[in-house]
Amino acid sequence: MLKPLARGKWDFTTAAHLLNRAGFGGTTLEIDKLADLGHEQAVAYLVDYEKIADDTPDPPWAKPDPERAQRFLEARRGSEEERRKLQREMQQTERQHMIELRAWWLHRMAKGPRPFQEKMVLFWHGHFATSVEKVRESYLMWRQNELFRREATGNWLELLIEVARDPAMLVWLDQAQSRKEHPNENFAREVMELFALGEGHYSEKDITEAARALTGWAYDRPAQKFIERPFWHDRGEKTIFGKTGNFDGEDFLQMVVEQLQSARFITAKLWNFFAGEMPSDDLDTALAASFRRAGNNFKPVLREMFLSEEFYSPTIIRNQVKSPVQWLVGSVRVLERELPPPMACFALTRNLGQDLFAPPNVKGWDGGLSWITTNNLLARYNEAATLVNGDATAMGGMNLANNPNVNMMVERRLRNSPIGRVDVDKLFSANERSNKEALVSALERRLLQDKLKPKQETALRDFLDSKSELDNETVRNAIRMVMSTPEYQVT
Amino acid sequence: MKDDITLKTRREFLRSTVLGGAISWTVPAFLANTFSALQAEAADKATQVATGRDSNILVILQMAGGNDGLNTVVPRDNDYYHRARPRISLAEKQILTLNGQVGLHAGLVGFKELYDTGHLSVIQGVGYPNPNRSHFRSTEIWQTASDSEKIEAYGWLGRYFDNACSGCDPTVGVNIGRQMPQAFASKHPIGVSLDSPGNYRFISGEKAKSGQMSSTEELYRKLNEPENEMAENAGGTVSAISGSSRAPVSALDFLERTALDAQISSDKIRGIASRVENKAPYPGSQLGNSLKLVAKLIGGGLPTRVFYVSQGGYDTHTNQTGAHERLLKDLGDSVKAFVDDMKAQDNLSRVLVMTFSEFGRRVAENASGGTDHGAAAPMFVIGNKVKAGLLGTYPSLAPSDLSLGDLKYSVDFRSVYAAVLEEWLHTRSAPILGKQFAPLQIV
Repeated sequence: MLKPLARGKWDFTTAAHLLNRAGFGGTTLEIDKLADLGHEQAVAYLVDYEKIADDTPDPPWAKPDPERAQRFLEARRGSEEERRKLQREMQQTERQHMIELRAWWLHRMAKGPRPFQEKMVLFWHGHFATSVEKVRESYLMWRQNELFRREATGNWLELLIEVARDPAMLVWLDQAQSRKEHPNENFAREVMELFALGEGHYSEKDITEAARALTGWAYDRPAQKFIERPFWHDRGEKTIFGKTGNFDGEDFLQMVVEQLQSARFITAKLWNFFAGEMPSDDLDTALAASFRRAGNNFKPVLREMFLSEEFYSPTIIRNQVKSPVQWLVGSVRVLERELPPPMACFALTRNLGQDLFAPPNVKGWDGGLSWITTNNLLARYNEAATLVNGDATAMGGMNLANNPNVNMMVERRLRNSPIGRVDVDKLFSANERSNKEALVSALERRLLQDKLKPKQETALRDFLDSKSELDNETVRNAIRMVMSTPEYQVT
Repeated sequence: MKDDITLKTRREFLRSTVLGGAISWTVPAFLANTFSALQAEAADKATQVATGRDSNILVILQMAGGNDGLNTVVPRDNDYYHRARPRISLAEKQILTLNGQVGLHAGLVGFKELYDTGHLSVIQGVGYPNPNRSHFRSTEIWQTASDSEKIEAYGWLGRYFDNACSGCDPTVGVNIGRQMPQAFASKHPIGVSLDSPGNYRFISGEKAKSGQMSSTEELYRKLNEPENEMAENAGGTVSAISGSSRAPVSALDFLERTALDAQISSDKIRGIASRVENKAPYPGSQLGNSLKLVAKLIGGGLPTRVFYVSQGGYDTHTNQTGAHERLLKDLGDSVKAFVDDMKAQDNLSRVLVMTFSEFGRRVAENASGGTDHGAAAPMFVIGNKVKAGLLGTYPSLAPSDLSLGDLKYSVDFRSVYAAVLEEWLHTRSAPILGKQFAPLQIV
């Protein structure tokens, strides 16, 4: 059992920690509100998100396109020139959709009413890391994103089955090509190695047998959806985890979640995502037991985590490196500004090493300290100027592809869409805008929910003293400079 | 994670020398000189860094998009070749003869000169088992040196850094470009990526009087200065709990160190770029500019072991002839200029350039005067220590010898990597490549 946090420990710091980790952070006012709610109510407010309506409309293009297959067919009858022209046009459209899709999702994180649900979607995206680089269809990527949202805190088995039948996943891990004559082992392997058990908890034989069980789960490309093809399914006997039977895909996934290791594996990964470090053996045993008691449903164990004393340990608070997405979305929230235009959002996160919908491989992003190199730390400091002052040049442009035309298009669009700057009057009271001491502590509270080191405070005060007046430009520079510290990169 | 001893000596070194970095901001030349000297000295006594002025340097040159190897190193008097490529095959006069069987594309005048002077080795028929024809996946295979069926998280150079460069300067790997290549991905990320020295720095956003720092630049340095009490164990908040994948330093401690590294390497790189002059004329292309910068950084004594540059545009599906010629001309001229520059710097004997592309192209041309994604292709290795000439065997173009219309490889690219690691970077290749590949004799 996890110990619940003592009642007296629920305050501004712990409330800020909850909002930072279970969501993407927020303003001082939002943190105060959570602190006033009391711990249980605050956790419920985030975790029981179904009670809050979210009427975000789907992207206009996010629907099946039955004519797509038809167009392909017609193009195939045409000349090679025509075929290539169509291909180019489709690529352009896809690229555009992906830029919109990233912004659509970032907007839900930054401005939507259910930050915890979006945080879970981000977790699942990193966990079932699927890349558009191979899938190539924005509609499929959006569908998978919606699946993660729908099943964000639901049942483990249901989630695994849905993921196994998700079109983007079928393409990504080649299940679409798997049939009884030559089963493709890619998905079977990754389910066990990366999604549900971890290395050392299955045999190579389990993989080949599971791949056989999964045959028949296929992708109907023209209809852009999952299809069960009985003739592709291997009806023979299989032996998985020492049990023998005529198993199919659902049987296999059922057998996976029945392993205690599966509960340990996924709860440890969740703890690592939210707490910022792997749990100790004892803690993971407690988390896995709680997860199984709740019928392998995620919501109860997540609630227990957020109510536990362990989650608010001093070694955990402000000891997690913000992911690039957390950095961008969190910054937009504490700066109370709009999300930058879609192309800029794409450039900002990609430059920091996290390109949504394009994780580096099926293992997802390493996260943690590996987000930070000399290079992207400087990029974070400079992008702070982009967000605060609207200075697009600080972003340094980007190289999207080996295609100079695409890069030129991107640079042009970055130049032409103004990023906008922070509204200082909205962030600070008249007193804070005229009194240096008050300004320094307001900056610390808003941006760090913590103090700078005394030496840093002195340096910041000296900077403010060197200016003849505290005009908005000076205040904006001060904001940017607090964001250009090691302290701002942790949460 | 870097071990304690490294960390400690590194800190002592930083405390004793680099805190003066801000003071000497206005004298970058002096700064850069002092730095490399101090760095080399510290490296000698403090850590086992694989860097230093006298170490060998590897320059990786990626020909991105899938270079048409068949029109790069061209078979002579080969009926299969001309039959498969009625529109785009190269005639005898478009070839620079290497021997009776093969020649170089006429655009590669630079490479021909290097070949004639014993600076170029051509490795023929390089590839890997079960070739993948997707740009994304095949690039990944080359970058991570994985088997075709296996996903590796880390790059082969990243694993080299993890294995051999614990405690190294962040500039041990330098990529010229904006995105870090996957080859650099490592457990403990290190390395620097910059498209121009001007972009690898803190951008103040404020105007400053000449010779002075802007007030935000000054504040940036103060906010990111290490604490005086940057003693051992600073910020070590994690001792209370045990476990396997826990970071041995707090996130903040790690960030403070990286911030200092960033500041130092940024100052150093910009110092070198403004001080060192190139000694050979380069083409004005992106590749030319990249190699120009690499040459400066080498000349300035940056303790880098691996540089990474790339040249894009090789995905020649349509009307390939003109585009391919321009690319190869640029390639040959840029590399030739770089070699001349290295020679003039007296650094050529410690520099090795290695090219690669994610795949070659199909033997048969397509209907658009181009070629589609294929398999095996040649690699080039350049330097004055290379076994110059033709290595490996030219793949057969006989239809019965092709695999799905593609050339079969005879040299696994990982045996080239093994050679580079063992013979050039002097490190064991098996821990990095996952198994022992017989190193090809290239140096």
